[in-house]
Amino acid sequence: MKTSSLWRMMPLLAPTQLLLISVIVIPSIYVVWLSFHASTYGQAATFVGIENYIRVLGDPGFHSALWNTVVLVVVAVHLELLIALGMALLFNSGLWGRRFLLVAVLAPYAVSEVVAVAMWRFLFDQGVGPITVLLNALGLPALEWSYEPSHAMIMIAVLTIWMHLPFTFVILYAARLALPSDLYEAARIDGATRLQSFRRVTMPLLGPAILVALLFRYIFAFRMFSEVWLLTGGGPARTTEVVAVYLYQEAFTYSAFGPASATAWIMVAVSMLLASGYILLLRRQVKNAA
Amino acid sequence: MRLERFLVNAGKTLAVVMILLWSLFPIIFIISSSFKPGREIFAVPPQWLFAPTFDHYVTLWQRWSIFFQGLFNSTIVTIGAASIAVIASTCAGYVYSRTSSRFLNASLVFLIAVRLIPPIVVTLPLFPIVNNLGLADTHFVLSVLYATFFVSLGTVLMRTFIDQIPRELDEAASMDGATMPVILWKVITPLAAPGILAVAVFVVVFAWNEFLFAFIFTSTRAKTAPLVISEMIGSIEGVDWGVLFAASTVQLLPVLLFVMAMNRYLVAGLTSGATKG
Amino acid sequence: MSYETAFRLNRRTFLGGAVSGLALMAAGPAFAQGKTLQVLSHRVHQTSLGEGDADMLAAWKAENNADVMFTTLDSNPLMDRLFREASLAQTDFSVGYMVDNRPTSENATLFEDLRAYQDADPIEDFDDIAPGLVQGMTIDGRLIGIPVRTATQGLFYNEELLADAGFDGPAKTLEELVEQCVAISAKGRATGMILASDLAVFPVMFARAFGGDYISQDFTLLPDPAAMEKALTVLADMFSRGALPRSYATNKGEELLTWMQQGRAAYSVLPFARMGQLADPALTEYAGKIKVTAFPGSETLAADTAMSSVVEAWAMTIPANAVDKELAWSYIKEVSSRKNTLGMALNGNGPARVSTFLDPELTSKNDFAHIESEVLANARGAFPPFGEAARAQQLFLEEVQLTVLGRKSPADAVAAIQSRIQPLLPA
Repeated sequence: MKTSSLWRMMPLLAPTQLLLISVIVIPSIYVVWLSFHASTYGQAATFVGIENYIRVLGDPGFHSALWNTVVLVVVAVHLELLIALGMALLFNSGLWGRRFLLVAVLAPYAVSEVVAVAMWRFLFDQGVGPITVLLNALGLPALEWSYEPSHAMIMIAVLTIWMHLPFTFVILYAARLALPSDLYEAARIDGATRLQSFRRVTMPLLGPAILVALLFRYIFAFRMFSEVWLLTGGGPARTTEVVAVYLYQEAFTYSAFGPASATAWIMVAVSMLLASGYILLLRRQVKNAA
Repeated sequence: MRLERFLVNAGKTLAVVMILLWSLFPIIFIISSSFKPGREIFAVPPQWLFAPTFDHYVTLWQRWSIFFQGLFNSTIVTIGAASIAVIASTCAGYVYSRTSSRFLNASLVFLIAVRLIPPIVVTLPLFPIVNNLGLADTHFVLSVLYATFFVSLGTVLMRTFIDQIPRELDEAASMDGATMPVILWKVITPLAAPGILAVAVFVVVFAWNEFLFAFIFTSTRAKTAPLVISEMIGSIEGVDWGVLFAASTVQLLPVLLFVMAMNRYLVAGLTSGATKG
Repeated sequence: MSYETAFRLNRRTFLGGAVSGLALMAAGPAFAQGKTLQVLSHRVHQTSLGEGDADMLAAWKAENNADVMFTTLDSNPLMDRLFREASLAQTDFSVGYMVDNRPTSENATLFEDLRAYQDADPIEDFDDIAPGLVQGMTIDGRLIGIPVRTATQGLFYNEELLADAGFDGPAKTLEELVEQCVAISAKGRATGMILASDLAVFPVMFARAFGGDYISQDFTLLPDPAAMEKALTVLADMFSRGALPRSYATNKGEELLTWMQQGRAAYSVLPFARMGQLADPALTEYAGKIKVTAFPGSETLAADTAMSSVVEAWAMTIPANAVDKELAWSYIKEVSSRKNTLGMALNGNGPARVSTFLDPELTSKNDFAHIESEVLANARGAFPPFGEAARAQQLFLEEVQLTVLGRKSPADAVAAIQSRIQPLLPA
């Protein structure tokens, strides 16, 4: 279409762009300014250069928060992907009551983080939690998530997987459904076993969908806040603190706006890094579509 | 051969049972516990047969009236956010579907890239800005925030859906002298209804459940239900678990039923949103 | 999967929904209408004023045609929230409860100077309010809070659980306390002691039992490092021997009361004032069996040194950006009256008025009033206020938790506390 019609369409584009610019872009730029200043309640900002960045990057508390975040992202997201892939293939292999099962699998998507935390905290309560009681009755060790940092991390990972599995599953399931069945027919005629057709046909064709699901989940898991804040508060002894919790504490508990802003921009940088692959992919698609 | 078939079926059944347990057990447990008398919540082993009681709901109503105000606030904020997001993304989605230029492609990338900024990053500067505008603790500010974090996905979704509507329809209307807003309103909107629903499902679920923004931007007037529940978790004294479960059930059920009813739109949205952009 | 248009949304319905949504949004703020005083506090401040029929503010509410709405949070989140609210252009909270170790020269400017209010419309018998507490709320010459609650820490114990393990009375020394706790846990019916890991109060008490401290009133960090090391050693020992629950690192201040009410722990450290909730048969089946005494010092503590307990004071402030300051002052004045101070004390609030401690109505009702006033005589704050106090407390607790869980030696933790917190102290 011609440029003139593009201009006529501007009013239609404006609400979306205005929202994004005023709510996300401008505040983010203000965060850059804040990150080069020291300020707190009742005190004017003074320019300190890159001191805030040096302070955050040199803080052992930040290192451990970053490390915990990376561990959670790597472990939880990949586990989630494996489970989702298994489920997608299971659903595709023909199941009774698939429609109902799909609704059941989607259910956790409707649950708020707050309620999910209340649920899992109670189920795993170290005194009275039903799962703890069950594990003990079976002679199995229960999760001591308030004592063992690794157990606390497992709790957080379980909660994250529970809440986001529907998302990953749906993407993979839809992608699997879209695969043409004649390919499998052909593979079967060629005498391929189930395993072979999975490795040679399913995996390569599902590749893009898996990549998309992974990138999405990397980006979203990296900003994880509520699960950790409400479940462990970063404890025991700050061993499960993640980057977003670190940022919150700097900003709203210690009222140190400079270091908090520096942390914020470090988060943005890491997210962008994670996403650059995704954006490249997207650009290619936009080009193809054009 | 028969044995193999039996094993495969047994395995599948087991897997299905595990999936159901994993997805539904925590939810059913919370809901059923909210109807259990206080002490039976902690009974070992859990009681599946019990005389249901509404005690916890009565207590919730009497002692936590603030929770119901939270539900009211959540409702307003959710409707507001869904309206803003749907209108903005339908308009933008239409433009992206019907026109293309270098500028538009770039702005589409911008649309997605902006979304990569973690929400917690903007809380810090938005907090004083929202204040100085006198918008702190209003339903409006939460609605706008929630809508903003979904217009990117919403626009991409709407573009995908509108792409499926034949251009000939717009062109015919255009020949008849209809202006663009009229075309959008009379021709596109009715046909893109599934897309609109898909966008709405996402925004509704997000706005109804969101915690972080509500935690930071509201204090008394616009406090949403999840925030009240988090305060309940914090101030629980002993046997109050029942009240917490009752509140959780009330907060959870509407959106759970909504998601179940709308599952096809959710799935449609997730697939086209994630794979197409 | 086919998601074809099986469903066609009626445009008018949709528009109707959107419009009514926006209309509701506009009407929204009107929801909390009428004359309502918003108060930001800890739950205990609300309960001590009485609820329902026992509401001590009933007459004041009727007279002012006002209602009081409390938003209650646990101690640390409450302070985060109060300062955030006070930094806004305007806040709905006209009264905020502040703990005495948080005001600093910087943040005190966010609150009204109440001296002017006091001069114009004085609180009844103001000089009766403990002068030390008033001093603590006077920052750079400005009185920013009216003291309303003292929380002096005492040692609570459950007689029945003690007797169960063969002890006929509470421990007289710290060493004895540890042994009793270990024995009670070993018995299996309850845990020896429950402490919270999110407040500095508890490790500070243990350090003081050995004559040490965390940060002294003149800002000396760890005035006696050896004492802190001994304190951490004792705590870690208690944990490893099961005298503290395995969930120690996530136990929050609010939970202590629950554990005691349910008989899940035999000992805890709580403000004396909490006895109200531990002696009420409606709240605990151990009512009457839970007693309180002074927290014991170590047997190594020199005979002439008294164990100094932790006292925390709360004051009512008016944020400078509050909407209804007149009503706020009227509330503060009402709550601070002699009558209401006594009423709150009877509901289990540590009074801020000196005379209330001696009131016969109170001393006849609770037999521990004399113990409390003795402990209070030697008590001081957990740490003095300074700008980075919140961060320092967090670092301190991190080191304490690591030590208690056995992940760090007490000596290393003491060294870390010194090197990490020293830079945060005021010069």
